[in-house]
Amino acid sequence: MNSSTRNISTPDTSTHLSVRINVPLDRFDLSVDFQTTHRVTGVFGVSGSGKTTLLETIAGLRRGANGIITLDDAIWLDSARKQWLPPERRDIGYVPQDSLLFPHLDVRANILSGSGRAKKNGVDLDATLDTVTRVLDIGTLLDRSPRTLSGGERQRVALGRALCSGPKLLLLDEPLASLDAGLRRKVLPFLHRVQREFALPMLLVSHNPVEVQVLCEDLIVLREGKIIARGEPRAVLTQPEIFPLAEQEGFENMLSGCVVETRDQTSIVRLGTGDEGPLLTVPRSGMQVGGRLLLSVPANDITLALERPRLLSARNIIQARIEQIQTVGTVRLITVRLADDVPPIVAEVTADAVTELHGAPGTEIFLIIKTSAITLYEDG
Amino acid sequence: MIEVLKSTILWASLATLLVMLPGTAIAYLLARHEFAGKKIVSTIFSLPLVLPPTAVGYLLLKFFAVNGPLGRASLGLDLDILLTWKAVVIACAVMAMPLVVRTARISFEGVDPRYESLARTLGHGRLAAFFRYTLPLSARGLLAAMILGFTRAIGEFGATIILAGNIPGKTQTLASAIFSAQQSGDEAEGNILLGIALAVGFTAIFLTEYLSQKQSAVGAQRR
Repeated sequence: MNSSTRNISTPDTSTHLSVRINVPLDRFDLSVDFQTTHRVTGVFGVSGSGKTTLLETIAGLRRGANGIITLDDAIWLDSARKQWLPPERRDIGYVPQDSLLFPHLDVRANILSGSGRAKKNGVDLDATLDTVTRVLDIGTLLDRSPRTLSGGERQRVALGRALCSGPKLLLLDEPLASLDAGLRRKVLPFLHRVQREFALPMLLVSHNPVEVQVLCEDLIVLREGKIIARGEPRAVLTQPEIFPLAEQEGFENMLSGCVVETRDQTSIVRLGTGDEGPLLTVPRSGMQVGGRLLLSVPANDITLALERPRLLSARNIIQARIEQIQTVGTVRLITVRLADDVPPIVAEVTADAVTELHGAPGTEIFLIIKTSAITLYEDG
Repeated sequence: MIEVLKSTILWASLATLLVMLPGTAIAYLLARHEFAGKKIVSTIFSLPLVLPPTAVGYLLLKFFAVNGPLGRASLGLDLDILLTWKAVVIACAVMAMPLVVRTARISFEGVDPRYESLARTLGHGRLAAFFRYTLPLSARGLLAAMILGFTRAIGEFGATIILAGNIPGKTQTLASAIFSAQQSGDEAEGNILLGIALAVGFTAIFLTEYLSQKQSAVGAQRR
């Protein structure tokens, strides 16, 4: 972490966000009560579950909420005492789904449109602008009009604009939802870089299980305005009552690793952080040997075998140990661990298959993963 | 003749200036806020569009008459409006109001209110958000409103003739000069005045067409 990054906020102090609100909506009340000191807290749910309402209420863009919202010592809302802080005094950075870049300003002016507050908050603007431009790779876009940008570029600029406004909390409303799958894979790593390089607390609203697993430390699941689950993202999303929802929204196992070899059509990745992790053959990546990659595998693209299969077309046969077996409707979710420094992944199989495998926690097992089932996210 | 054109343009400009500020404020209010009686306010400001101009002139006459609410008897001083150039300006301003309000309102409605919300999350207060973002984004529409208001003022006849009369060299405008030329059978003067009126009207409408096309292009690219 370089010195310029520290100008945005102090990394040593964790920010405490406390939200206890009730907002009457048409079909239900949004009624949540949570506190967080995590760097990135996610809010996951299908559309219409109240996620955006929650974010807009925290931002101060929506009136009519009862309750209390505080960030550290600052009281943003205390309806009992008739206190309400307008959005311009909440020190937030807001990134909407559709970027909302100001069409009459060029990219540079857009990015600097919150610079007045940044200066007031004591931010070294030049250093911040440098860092933001580098991390988001938008240096070549600065003199262009927002009209000429692609969807992915627009979202990066919107992110840069929020980061350069001297915020104390970043609010992201489905930052990748307006992009197609290909672009989302390209922009997600930028968000990941922002998350790692800026010591800035974030609240991320998303209906995408991949995003929340990559970015969040803490996940809140909303359904019809109520919190129905909360915890570490992967663990929450694979809970039997949440998993059908997560899968419907495109749940995939997220893994990260280091490229150790590149071939004609494939790359070999060592999973985990150490030198001992299992090797995985993935589609060829543009990343050089030594670069880190994020990758994902859908739960229902993993085949299990009790013995090491031979003469198989699938490139990846990895030994693992069953940690947990859960029943979700007619299918079983098998949580397996590949190595100590690799987060567990889940495979989805039918109930009959589990019986035939004689699977039980502790059983040694082989995972079979086709290379083509793996999606890559270039990690900066 | 040049005198008539000069004073008509001067009075129409003053009327436009007089109407733009309150007209824009009311248009913004109607475009962005919900309040009790909004439809009534909107109707009142559109009324001069549908009333006979002479009726509007007559109503204004009642306001500024000696015993009217803005007359000498009520105010205690004489504003000296009736049958002067001030009466021309007031009549033109009132008649131009509906076009200004309606055009400006449409222009504000074409700017996504979320730009203003977003500006506020960047630390800008309400006023700053309006002046820095909504105003520039609706500038073309507001310019169109101004041009339409100006043209309406140039062509105003009915209300002006009741409030200000048709006094050559004092309150005569392009519109009332055409009327006088036709009444007195001066066809040559009538034709020249007609040509001027056509040119002014055509230019104004053409400009607003051009502006509205540009504005919708900006709006389309936003999505």
